[in-house]
Order: sequence, then C-alpha cells, then structure tokens
Amino acid sequence: MPMAEETSLFAEEAIQHLDTLYRGALRLTRDSAQAEDLVQDTYVRALRYQASYRPGTNMKAWLFAIMRNLFWDRFKGGRPEDLSLDGDDEHSLYDTLEDDEAGPEDLALDQIAHEEVIRAVDTLPEIHREVVLLVDVEGFSYKDTADVIGVPIGTVMSRLHRARHQLQQSLHDYAEEAGIVPGGAA
Amino acid sequence: MNCSDCVERLDSYLDRELNEEEVDQVRKHLTDCPPCEHVFQLRSDLKRLVKICCDEAAPASGLRDKVRNILT
Repeated sequence: MPMAEETSLFAEEAIQHLDTLYRGALRLTRDSAQAEDLVQDTYVRALRYQASYRPGTNMKAWLFAIMRNLFWDRFKGGRPEDLSLDGDDEHSLYDTLEDDEAGPEDLALDQIAHEEVIRAVDTLPEIHREVVLLVDVEGFSYKDTADVIGVPIGTVMSRLHRARHQLQQSLHDYAEEAGIVPGGAA
Repeated sequence: MNCSDCVERLDSYLDRELNEEEVDQVRKHLTDCPPCEHVFQLRSDLKRLVKICCDEAAPASGLRDKVRNILT
C-alpha cells in the first residue's frame, strides 16, 4: 500500500494529464458525457493500480493505456488484440493499399473547416483512430504507441498509414462535395 | 533513393522515426523531386491540421474537481 505522501505526489502528477486524457476520451467515445465518465474511471483505476506505475517513467502513456483498455472493455466488448482484429488479416488488408495510390493529392486543406477534420477523424474505425490520436495528436513515438495499445510497431505503422489514407480520402470527398476542389469525372 | 522508396518512408520521416542517414536520404530526394515533395507537404499539413483540430476540446470545468476528489 503506497504511503500518503507517495499518493499525493502521484495524484499531483496524474492530474496534470487531465486535459490530454479528456481530449483522447472524447475522440474515442465521440461523446462529451461518456468521455468525462471514461476519464474519471481511468483515474479510479490508476489510483487502484498506482503501485504498478514506476515513478520517472512515462505517466501519460501509462494513463492512456489504462484509458484505452477501459474504453475497449466497456464500449466495444473487448480489446482488439483479443478479438482477432490483429495479425495477418490486417496486414493483408493493408497490402492492398499501395503507397503510390495513396489517394488524392489535390487537397486544399487550408479551406477545410475544423469540424470536418474532426468528423473525418471520428469516422475512422477505432483501431485506426486511437493510433492517430496517440501519434498525431499526442506526439507518441511508434514504440510508446505500440506499448500503449499492445501491438508490434509494424502494426502501429500499418494502422497509421491506413488511417491517414482514409482521412485524406474522406477530406477530399468533402472538398469535392463542397466545391473546394473540382469533382472527378461523372 | 527512388520515388517509391521515398513515399514508403514518408510517414516515418514525418513522425521523426528515421535515423540520421535515412533522414538525409529522404530529405535529398524531396529536394530533387517536386512530386514527392508535394505528397510530403500534403501529409505534413494533414498531420498538423489533425493535431490542431483535436487539441481544441476542453473538459467541462467540473471534471477537474471530480478527478481531484477521486485522487485524494
């Protein structure tokens, strides 16, 4: 059982990550009330397991791992790594996406409203969304991301690539509809 | 480095996951190849835009107090 002083130091450090965790929770759940619940439950669990946190290591990554696991357990009925959403099937899917065909390159990103970008992120499948969240929004390295979500680095890279391709396509479709870029052939 | 090698490494280049030698190779190719530079610029802009947009959300003011109560 941690001493009161240790708990106080732990709490002080943990609460510094509140805004970051909330942003992550909001992107995962896409609902502010559920996001707040998820964040609170993350802190409850973090406090319960604080003995497993080693001071001086990456607390943000540790908290994200707790939150991400809670999210999958609670909202999705289990974690993707336990539900055979990983592995060869996923890689073969990515293999069909050649880099050279990585999608529309005539995108005028500066003309796209922020709400549309968020909508595009929110429509990514969860296993792709969480990687974008960790790498692009929170700036995690591939290794830290792999540790948080419990997959090999190669899987992080393929999910990230797939997610970015999908985002680009989604924003391009929107830009075409909005007349920001010319539409394709009818 | 050809265009295919370059584009294959663009994500890692963008995410600062390449070693120094690989960074130099990609950077040199981008300098010499406007089409690849264009792809890189688009991906770079997209990454930055995603961060800016997703960073805008803030929790309701009461959440901090609730979390403080949990932690004390």
